[in-house]
This record gives sequence, C-alpha cells and structure tokens, in this order.
Amino acid sequence: MTSSSTSSRKNLSKIACNRLQKELTEWQASPPAGFNYKVSDNLQRWVIEVVGAPGTLYANETYRLQVDFPEHYPMEAPQVIFMNPAPMHPHIYSNGHICLDILYDSWSPAMTVSSVCISILSMLSSSTVKQRPEDNDRYVKNCRNGRSPKETRWWFHDDKV
Amino acid sequence: MGNKLGRRRQVVDEKYTRPQGLYNHKDVDQKKLRKLILESKLAPCFPGDEETACDREECPICFLYYPSLNRSRCCTKSICTECFLQMKVPNSTRPTQCPFCKTANYAVEYRGVKSKEEKGMEQIEEQRVIEAKIRMRQQELQDEEERMHKRLEVSSSNVNVAVADVEYNSNAVAESSMSAVEHDEIVSSLDSCATPMVRPPPATRANRDDEFDVDLEDIMVMEAIWLSIQENGRQRNSPFTDATSGHYVTDDRYASSPMGQQTGSSSSPSGGLASAIAALAERQQMSGESSVSSNNESTPSFNMPPGSRRFYNRLGRDMVSYSPTENLTEVPPDDAMAMARSHGQWSIDHGSQVAETATSYTNSVEVEDRGELSSMSQPNDIDESLQSATDPIVPESFEEQMMLAMAVSLAEARAMPSGHSASWQ
Repeated sequence: MTSSSTSSRKNLSKIACNRLQKELTEWQASPPAGFNYKVSDNLQRWVIEVVGAPGTLYANETYRLQVDFPEHYPMEAPQVIFMNPAPMHPHIYSNGHICLDILYDSWSPAMTVSSVCISILSMLSSSTVKQRPEDNDRYVKNCRNGRSPKETRWWFHDDKV
Repeated sequence: MGNKLGRRRQVVDEKYTRPQGLYNHKDVDQKKLRKLILESKLAPCFPGDEETACDREECPICFLYYPSLNRSRCCTKSICTECFLQMKVPNSTRPTQCPFCKTANYAVEYRGVKSKEEKGMEQIEEQRVIEAKIRMRQQELQDEEERMHKRLEVSSSNVNVAVADVEYNSNAVAESSMSAVEHDEIVSSLDSCATPMVRPPPATRANRDDEFDVDLEDIMVMEAIWLSIQENGRQRNSPFTDATSGHYVTDDRYASSPMGQQTGSSSSPSGGLASAIAALAERQQMSGESSVSSNNESTPSFNMPPGSRRFYNRLGRDMVSYSPTENLTEVPPDDAMAMARSHGQWSIDHGSQVAETATSYTNSVEVEDRGELSSMSQPNDIDESLQSATDPIVPESFEEQMMLAMAVSLAEARAMPSGHSASWQ
C-alpha cells in the first residue's frame, strides 16, 4: 500500500515543505487553544502537546501528539498518533492510534494541522467515559510490527464521539 | 501582474497553459488543460508566489499566492489550477468530493480576478470572523475573572477566621497575610504574615513625581495644601472609595492615606503598618476607632506607636539580621514615600478590579504570577523593577518602609492642621 510508515518515509516535496513552513508560522502566530507545538528543527515530524479542555474528562491532563507528514502532504493525510501514554478514550488505542475519519478516508488537503488538532481535542472533549476501544488488545497486537495507522482499514461507526 | 483576466477570452501566455511543476502531475491531459485555460474555464497556471502582494489570492491548499483562482461551484472556495488537478483522482470510482465542503462531484469555475463586490463580501466576512473571535476571547476572559473572584471570596472568608483568632481587629493584618499563602497556614502562622508581602509592580509615575527629590517637609506642606483643595475630589478619583482600603487609594497623597487608614478595617498589605497607624491615632487622641489592642510602652525612635512596635516585633521574628528599629532609621524617608506612593498608584492602575478587596486582588496577582508560593517566598521579580527602591528589599524592610512613611506623614500631618482636617474625613 502506501509508503507512509516511518521507516520508508520520503523527504517532503517542495510544496509540502512550503506549506508546512507556512502552517507553522501561522500556528506560532495564533496557536489553537489548548495546544503547544514542541519546537524542533524537524519539519516533517511535529510533536504537539495537548491539554484536555476544562470541564471535560481530560481537563488539565496533558498528552502529546506526534504528527508525521508524508512526502505528498497535503494531498496525503499526515499520520497522527498519541505518544505514550495515550489518553483513555473509546477511539484511542493504547498504542496511540486514533480512530478518526479525517485522519484517513476523510482527509482533505484543505485541512491543516491546526484543524486536525481541534478535531482531536473535540473528540476527546465529547467523550463520556475513559476506556479503551473494545478491540484494543487485538488491534494493538496486529500493529506490533510498527504498522502505521494509515494502513489500517478503519471502520468509522460512531458519529457521536 | 499585468495580466488582466476578464470574463471573455483574453490572451493567456502560452507558458501558463501547462502546469508549472508544483506537483508531479501524472495523468493530466495537457491538451484539454490548455483548452480550458484558453477558454477561461480554468485559471491560468501562474507560478505561485510565496509572499503575498496586493491583489493576490492565496490558494488554501498549497498556500501560494496567485493573481486569480478558480472557485468551487458548491461553496465558491478558491483553488489554484494545479491543486485542482490533484483533486481529481483519475482512476477512482468515487466521484471527487469538494475538499472544502465535501459536496460530491466537485467542480470549479473560473471568473477571473475577483470583482470588487466579491472582495467586499470577503472583507465583511473576515470582519465577522474577527469580531466573533474577539467575542470568544472576551467571554473567556470574563469566565476567567469570575473564577478568580470565586477563589477570592473563598480566601477572604478563610482570612476572616484568622483575624478572629488573633484578636486583631484590623483586617489589614490578616488580609495582607493572605497573599499566596495557603489559608490554613495563615491561621497557624500569623507571625509570618508580613513575609509574603505583595510587591507593587512599578507604577506609571503620576503627575507629581518630580517632587521625589524635594525635601520631605516641603512635600508634606504641599500635600496638605493640595489635599485641602482636593478634599472633595478624592471621592471621584479613587475607585476604591467604597472599599476598605482607603490608604491604597489615596496613597499618592501620602498625608491623607494613613489617616484614612485608621478608620478601621482597611485592608493594608502590612499588619504592622495598620497597627502603627492605629496607635498613632490613639496618641493623637483622634476619634478614629482604632481597634488595635496596644499596650503603652514607650517608643524610642520615630514616635513609633507602642502597639505597632509590639506587633512589629512579632513580625520581626522572621527577620534575619537586623532589628526593626535599625532598619527604620536607615530608610530614607523619600524612598519610603516613594514606595508608598507607587503602591497606591499601582492599586489605582488596577482600579477596574472590583472594590471587594484591594489586597485580595494584589494577592491573587501574586499567586498567579508565581504559581505557588510558600509563606516565606521572597518576591523578586516585581521587586527588582520597583523604581523607587534601588536595592532589592526583603519584604520586612518594605513593611518597615511603609510604616516609616506612614509614621512620618502622620507626624507631619499632625503638625499641620489643614492637611490633617482635610484628610480626616
């Protein structure tokens, strides 16, 4: 399938590079509320801190997102996972993979890192229970060879969270 | 640039009829593309600029700037021709969705450079977005403030308990100790209550700073005169008139401040100060209901009132290498006045805060600035920027300076009936 797993990552295309630089500039000028970009010189991998929104199950909890950009970003979706420890959430596997359609089938090049982050925070915020997905163990076992979540065939069944 | 693109066919440079290499297009029908561009059904493939310039539009996909862009039929969002070509997945069975609104059968049209009306509409929309953002921000701030006030109310009630415990009727003592100390700590360790003194940030100097170097007596005279003129103005000028912290409000008229202070439950940053003033008032046989319990020791220096000395020593337990009195004599009066004054101005600067508690407010500022504070923590940052103090002062000595300032001004005021009556309401 795609060659987007970490090992076979290709360098960013010129257009991807240019766009990411601009996204970063924009982010730094007005970062989405609750997020903090961890400065690094690797444009292809962003680490972003996310703080649970006040009044939600994850209030004041801090997690880290790792965002890897494929060569053909934004035509191709970035790979977004939670770094260890991943928040307890019905759509977040213990290996950090996130079951969220916009990260896969529903990705659109009109989206940005910032908009993806907001979607993820919104997903967290609307959770009513802190628990792993039902098939967590099975899925995580299947991913032990370092498979990218982008190679998973996701079923998006729950529109509520 | 010079290309004017109208609705009708116009000359498009041949080189803009094919992709400029933004992407590695695989399946582009070059002939068809050229035809569409020449017929003005697609925007010419201008090379995108990285920087914006006037009359340039940004393609929301590649973030480059172009003289003109295509619009989606569904939602009229812009896209450059090369990005559009990337959207159409040639061999996909699914119809292409609009990348912006997800409408099926994504299609674009080209209307040339944006008309003035379109630009106007966009500006209006942008304006609305900005306004909405501002409203959101304001709401956030308001919520924040409410949360803070709730916190403050909680702390005030705790503090009052502490007051009762120590038989010190002047709230000033307890309220000052409130700054950033854990409340249960306050109750148990009132002795250290002077320690977490709030440092006023450097205030913007008010109109009369040039008097700082003038002889203190001169200042006091002028002060008294000025006060008698301003007696009524006081109410207007001070946002805290209703608040208990009379001396904060009027500090920049130093003579008046200590006098106002003694009327009782003012929230002073310094318990010592409050009691000093109260005791002084007693000595002056003023009618101010000073509730400080003081015994009549004699006071060696500075007419320091007995009660205050006693209390002062209590505070002094935490002090390290000097005795209160020593320190007092060392403090140049001007300095002290300046301190008191800037303090007052500072409070006024924050006048928008609810009058509820001037000191509580300062406290909360302190808490927020530092995150966490032990009762012994030494304020440094604000301290350093205090213009009137050249050396970093430990809180105790600031306290003393305040006391000195008040004592001196009281003494002066006493010798000056006009100033006295003016300030004593």
